[in-house]
Amino acid sequence: MDVRRHRLDNGLRIAVVPIPGLLSAAVLLAIEAGQWFEPAGRPGIGRLCALAMLRGTTTRDAKTWGDALDAIGAAARLDVGSHAATFSAQSLGSDLDVLLELMADAVVRPAFADKEVELVRQQTVAQIEEDAKNTRAVAESAWRELVYPKGHPFRARPIGDLEVVRGASADDLREHHRRAIRPDGAVLVVAGGVDATQVFDAGAKAFSSWRAGGPREQRKVPETRLVTAVRKLEIVPDKTQSDVVLGWPGLPRTDPRFVAARVTNMVFAADTFASRAGHVVRDELGLAYYVFSTIGSSRGQSPWVVRMGVNPINVERAVSTTLDELRKIVEGKVAEEDLELAQDKLVGELDVARESPAGVASLLLEGELFELGPDYAERYPRELRAVKLEQVVEMARTFLPPDRYGLAIAGPPLPERD
Amino acid sequence: MHALEARHAPVVSLWVWYNVGGRNEVPGTTGMSHFLEHMLFKGTPKHPKGDLDKLLARYGALWNAFTSEDVTCYFETVPAERYPVALELEADRMRNALITVEETEAERNVIVSEREGLENDPSFLLGEQLQAVAFARHPYAQGVIGSKEEIKQMTRDGLYAHYRRHYAPNNAYFIVAGDAPAEELLDRAANAFGPLDAEVPIEPPKAPEPPQYGEKRVIVRRAGGALPIIQIGHKAPRASDPRAAALSALAVALGGATAGGGEAASGRSSRLYRALVDTGLATSVDASFNLMKDPYLFVAEAHLGQGVTHDRVERVILDEMDKIARTALTDEEFGRVRRQMLSASAFMTDTVTWRAFRFGQLLGTGAATSLGEWYDRLAAVTADDVRAAAESVFQEKGRVVGWFVPEAS
Repeated sequence: MDVRRHRLDNGLRIAVVPIPGLLSAAVLLAIEAGQWFEPAGRPGIGRLCALAMLRGTTTRDAKTWGDALDAIGAAARLDVGSHAATFSAQSLGSDLDVLLELMADAVVRPAFADKEVELVRQQTVAQIEEDAKNTRAVAESAWRELVYPKGHPFRARPIGDLEVVRGASADDLREHHRRAIRPDGAVLVVAGGVDATQVFDAGAKAFSSWRAGGPREQRKVPETRLVTAVRKLEIVPDKTQSDVVLGWPGLPRTDPRFVAARVTNMVFAADTFASRAGHVVRDELGLAYYVFSTIGSSRGQSPWVVRMGVNPINVERAVSTTLDELRKIVEGKVAEEDLELAQDKLVGELDVARESPAGVASLLLEGELFELGPDYAERYPRELRAVKLEQVVEMARTFLPPDRYGLAIAGPPLPERD
Repeated sequence: MHALEARHAPVVSLWVWYNVGGRNEVPGTTGMSHFLEHMLFKGTPKHPKGDLDKLLARYGALWNAFTSEDVTCYFETVPAERYPVALELEADRMRNALITVEETEAERNVIVSEREGLENDPSFLLGEQLQAVAFARHPYAQGVIGSKEEIKQMTRDGLYAHYRRHYAPNNAYFIVAGDAPAEELLDRAANAFGPLDAEVPIEPPKAPEPPQYGEKRVIVRRAGGALPIIQIGHKAPRASDPRAAALSALAVALGGATAGGGEAASGRSSRLYRALVDTGLATSVDASFNLMKDPYLFVAEAHLGQGVTHDRVERVILDEMDKIARTALTDEEFGRVRRQMLSASAFMTDTVTWRAFRFGQLLGTGAATSLGEWYDRLAAVTADDVRAAAESVFQEKGRVVGWFVPEAS
């Protein structure tokens, strides 16, 4: 990949991959303002702040800002995850300067008008209440409460706690914005039908006035470890399928073992065809419509979880089968062929992701955000290939102990266990 | 067979579209096309289950399948040098799929589980009922996944007969887009599919929907959701109708090119977002006109805010529909709609997978014979075309209104 980089005086890093022949460009602006950077005891303040940033600025009210974005036909959204608040967008390459100016207006100069904050609060409260009837969301929340102690940034889902959302004032959001929405640590990645110099100029024009609001406060988060298997069943009325989350606290993206962990995840359950548990549970035994594992990427111990959608009658078998497959890995009963398949899959996906500007931008984002080095895109496939079987076994033993896990099930009542 | 060059990335995306879906089913066999789609992943005599699947996984392929009311579709996006493997998979399973009793039983659980996962979603439950009520005779009433009871009754022999009847080169079309000359992509495909035998031609289903003479209504009461939902459908023309491009623009004018609500920043200038989300009456809105082979529905959906009644939101949606049918969009508003529509078209074709999908969708539904033709039709839409399309579709006699009413747990 032809990656061009530039850094603004305020610390914002810009990376561009021009792709000749395309009309559009994908843009990712990732700000280190995810859950990891929320103040203790305020889960949800980050997402609420981000949504309020989309409701008007000091130069444009919400209507004018929305009209201007739609006038260039851009598609855009702002999501808050465990590590970052990510503004993702796509526009025609010729409109990129307008798009960046509008994104910067929302990020740098949000108005947080009382009326707009109230609207965003109402939407969020409604979503939290809707999620209380959503089996996937209920299982996710229950799992986090089982695994992460009180006060941990990942104990709640990014949408946060109802009390925090209900109680947050416009001033609270301004303060969070001042503290967390900052250019140092942020990256702007652009891929597609653009010229790199044009992007650097437009980025500088749009974002140069962005300033950090004082030194970044470090949040002290103790290491999380499970000492036993913990389990919770949440009954959600009038549902027919159970959603299951089985998992462990993961490891920081900056941990040198993270690439080995990602390969281990693929060997274990990430995919139906390339992973052991995925293949057995879904394809061989037909126990679940979906089963896959993910490992989160943040500065903390993001969730490393297997998610399944299962008929209640099959829940126990699907979970025990998944743990059986994990035990085989932990006991070293894993073949070189399993490892090679996982590595091929992970490396092959990198090639296929290049089919779209959004795919190219995503490929680049992780290396840029975690400052993994300018040669990361070239180095990463080699690092995946270099992982040995012993490392996979060691990673599973260290991070995925089959006798110490969190298991949350949400849905109808389960049949009686033997 | 059709090929498109896409030279910006070293990948190829191939799609096989079969002219079989929910519309080809009769009561008692609903969900058969979708069940069959799952069975096409169970191997052939030459390539037993897991053989090519693992190979594609090894190549990092993006590959899957879906079934709609009109078609069943299989696709692989692979590194360009792996194109022959994906072709081999698709040509082999077009005629030689192994559909065993044992695999049918195992997959039945998966499909029931898929159905149950959908049932957990109030929006799906309401949409399924809305569709069932909207169509009195046309098989679009049956949806795609089928009823749980009929999924449980599906037999291996029934599935196999459905397979042999519908899976043949003369009932399919093939789209490929990727990093090679179009002739080369086509030559290879011709070599793979050319030797396969045709089947007896299949007549398209003949159950045209009779006229509707008044509004229909349906209410779904379940405990499985916290917020009320409303869906309003209007009978809308098929994709090949001259109004199809204007109706696509109408959907953008009402709901934006991307569904509005929560984290979505775009589409907020749309009529329904302004009337419902900006005012706190709804948390999200959407409007859709799908390209379909036969006349289907133009659907608007809103998830209501807390304490807001269905009646009130229904009135607002119908008022907006009435306004847009009476008065043409202003130049400024129409400019935004046009730009969103044309940009979305460019975003889609800048991704190899979606470029191939879009082309197949246009061909299969009769909307257009090329990406360029469809783009030109979208670009030629005027503000008055949008108004006229709204006026022709938003009629009380073609309306079906659905409410999801949450019940106390």
